[in-house]
Amino acid sequence: MGANASQLEKEIGPHEFPQNEHYFGLVNFGNTCYCNSVLQALFFCRPFRERVLGYKPISKRKESLLTCLADLFANIASQKKKVGVLAPKKFVARLRKENELFDNYMQQDAHEFLNYLLNTIADLLQGERAKEKEKEKHSSTSSVSSKSSASSVGTTNGGSSIPNGKMEPTWVHDIFEGILTNETRCLCCETVSSKDESFLDLSVDVEQNTSITHCLRGFSSTETLCSEHKYFCETCCSKQEAQKRMRVKKLPKILALHLKRFKYMEQLQRYTKLSYRVVFPFELRLFNTSDDAINHGKLYDLVAVVIHCGSGPNRGHYITIVKSHGLWLLFDDDIVEKIEAQAIEEFYGLTSEIQKASESGYILFYEARG
Amino acid sequence: MAKTRVRTKSAIARANRSVCLGRESKMASGRGHVNQEIKQHFATKEGCYRLLDLSVYSRPNKVPYNAQQCHPVRVSFVTVKDQGGCNDRIAFNVGRELYFYIYKGVRKMLITPSIVGPICRERYEAADLTKPLDKRLYKGTIPTCHDFNLLTRSAESLELLIGFSAGQVQLLDPVKHEVNKLFNEERLVDKTKVMCLKWIPGSENLFLVAHESGNMFVYNKEHPAGVGPPQYALMKQGPGYSIHSGKSKTTRNPVCKWTIGEGSINEFAFSPDCKHIATANQDGFLRIFDFDMQTLCGVMKSYFGGLKCVCWSPDGKYIVTGGEDDLVTVWSFFERRVIARGVGHQSWVQVVAFDPYTTSVSGRGGVDDSDEEEIEQNGVAPSQRASSVTPEDKNVTSYRFGSVGQDTHFMLWDLGEDVLRPQRPRGRSVRATISLSNSHITSTHSLSNGPISHDTNHSGSGNAVAPCPVSSFDAPKNLTQVHSLTISMESLVSTGNVSPGTVLCPRMEDVCILEPLVAKKVANERLTALSFREDCIVMACHEGFIRTWARPGKVVRCAPNGDSSLSEDDDTEDHNSDALPASPLSS
Repeated sequence: MGANASQLEKEIGPHEFPQNEHYFGLVNFGNTCYCNSVLQALFFCRPFRERVLGYKPISKRKESLLTCLADLFANIASQKKKVGVLAPKKFVARLRKENELFDNYMQQDAHEFLNYLLNTIADLLQGERAKEKEKEKHSSTSSVSSKSSASSVGTTNGGSSIPNGKMEPTWVHDIFEGILTNETRCLCCETVSSKDESFLDLSVDVEQNTSITHCLRGFSSTETLCSEHKYFCETCCSKQEAQKRMRVKKLPKILALHLKRFKYMEQLQRYTKLSYRVVFPFELRLFNTSDDAINHGKLYDLVAVVIHCGSGPNRGHYITIVKSHGLWLLFDDDIVEKIEAQAIEEFYGLTSEIQKASESGYILFYEARG
Repeated sequence: MAKTRVRTKSAIARANRSVCLGRESKMASGRGHVNQEIKQHFATKEGCYRLLDLSVYSRPNKVPYNAQQCHPVRVSFVTVKDQGGCNDRIAFNVGRELYFYIYKGVRKMLITPSIVGPICRERYEAADLTKPLDKRLYKGTIPTCHDFNLLTRSAESLELLIGFSAGQVQLLDPVKHEVNKLFNEERLVDKTKVMCLKWIPGSENLFLVAHESGNMFVYNKEHPAGVGPPQYALMKQGPGYSIHSGKSKTTRNPVCKWTIGEGSINEFAFSPDCKHIATANQDGFLRIFDFDMQTLCGVMKSYFGGLKCVCWSPDGKYIVTGGEDDLVTVWSFFERRVIARGVGHQSWVQVVAFDPYTTSVSGRGGVDDSDEEEIEQNGVAPSQRASSVTPEDKNVTSYRFGSVGQDTHFMLWDLGEDVLRPQRPRGRSVRATISLSNSHITSTHSLSNGPISHDTNHSGSGNAVAPCPVSSFDAPKNLTQVHSLTISMESLVSTGNVSPGTVLCPRMEDVCILEPLVAKKVANERLTALSFREDCIVMACHEGFIRTWARPGKVVRCAPNGDSSLSEDDDTEDHNSDALPASPLSS
């Protein structure tokens, strides 16, 4: 390990090694690569890292997943050495304690973990905020009802269905949250109604020999609702044929794209991996934005990719490649390697349908430029 | 504790619900299967193109080359005057191998009964894969691209340049086997992969080699390699590029070095008049240089991602590029701006090429071009011929170009008057002013009902004088009037201002959207080469199969008891047969 680490330092070179940057591998505690890979990817999502490092819990004594994450990130960032290996012991222990899903030594889904982590952090932050408000209320003996803010939600027809709509957005939302708008056009009266939904990441279907751009277009393709799927139009006051499409209305700062590579096969009664070759560029723009989207031409840069290696969701391995100060690095648990940007081609997937095992991009992290 | 668990589980469920979009969309999953069949013919307004499945070139064993990370199969053609009547030669690389064959194309060969027997009297002779004129197997380095010298060609001698994955360049004669020179053998010039190499038009000795490092080198085939790493002296510098000449007392290679942009130069192309060179870079920039003056005279930025390929229209008026934005982008050389983007590919666009034979003049018929046109396809045009083709001489009303991509699809695009008319240069001025091109940002319209061409507030204004009704947010960028082209480019490139709405990279709704007139899945694997020839279209895929598609009417109906399924033509049942399952192509 030590030899590997110092070799990385040599490979990058003393002058090229970015200042105040640390490349540390994470020890695997038995199938915790799903966790390590996501943590590394998030560590190199700069806005996220900065927020986690700047996190100050209200109560110092109470341990939470966020305090463990903040400690881990701070531990990496404060290392004297530039490269090395750390054991995310406290974090993994806390994770196993908090959620029975992860309380075992089985292979977990990295995307599920990412979702869980982001939602848990958001919930913790909102909980803290609520507590703080309560404290303020107690001290100022306010007469304002705490329910007044909640009652305004869901009155307009374009009312948002944001799960956390009752709460103020946290910095997790600030970084990862985007808004989709589900536009339905009644084919009878031509009225377009739209419904907004928020997301922290987008899950897209994959097809063989396509690009992520094409996969993203896939979910924005127009769908016609007819026969038993007719849509109840409020203008016509009856069920009508309608056209539906989903577009992005608010673009997040960090766009996390989850490629749905695990597909349940009815005949086999289990999940199988789609190793399709899906190419993803270093630079991305979305085509499927709604007309009223703000700054819809936003340019994104690829900053991290969680890669699944192997043939199925319950077997295999996760690794992560990240971009840091113009360098591309590969994190494979405790091993960190410098890779060439062109080597990313190895992680697009396979064009052959026979082979199932592949090292293919599973979660892509794109950061908005500027 | 139990309460916490419930809450967190619901958090997962909630998050999943809000993000999984494709699952309930029937369209997305259904559409993927419709295009899965490999097409053997396609129809256009000029007729039906047919795959000649006996004229497939590949490795002699016909086994698909199956390496995930191999270098694209490229194809080079050359036409020579041969006594035997077989004038065309083809060179292509597959994996570590390089092959050189006689190319028969659509040519029909009479096979005498004494050889084959009475059953098969007349048919297309299959490509004889057992008899390559030359075959090379390389160790330690892999061929990536190649080009024939068209000035020195003859039936007895050919000069073929080959670029390699480790940066070397080889010059060999696949006919005479006498010449065999190596350039950059010690890898002192550049260690990175050769992405594109071509003989410089009009020169017997000079050739240009572009590398993954972002450097291009001019070599002279007669110059020695020299001792030690080459030394350079700066000759010229501009926004995003610099040019160095070799600084050595003795003549040696390389002659000079161009450094362009950041990252790989994926492809370059000389203009038909040989004066300009266009480079498609991994940094997403298309750059057009005056090759002799060594000045930058045009820049464009992809919508996003790297540009993979570039080509010029036969008259030099337009440049088409394709890349990682899944788009083909048409750039007007005279106006220095994007005039159209083609939407249709499902993955990165690998090769773009104009079809000089279906480019319409004055609205009817094809351009009557001689064999010389093929030479232009190969990258070198006799200058006296090309210079006669000025935009005013030929009133081209419609251009045809094709593209192939990693999506295994082949597409044909028409660039018609509806796109070309609004910006046709007025008068005889060759270089339109920037103010003209700026004003045209306002006069755009969408041509398609494609998924992304929604109505915008800009649609079809047609009036170039009217101010652009842009939102106040974008207005400053859009209305910036720049008086000098070079200044505008320098300021745009140096600030890295590639936000949509600039001349460098207009927004999607600000340019015409083209839809392909033909879009067919033609292979199992990613497509890597595309060439338009007089009687056929040639495409290659990653597996190492080079397939020939006969143009309409180029396949003549054969004898009644011949193998009619191979030779029928001009039938009108194309749309029905499109649905037929594809037969294995490599049998």
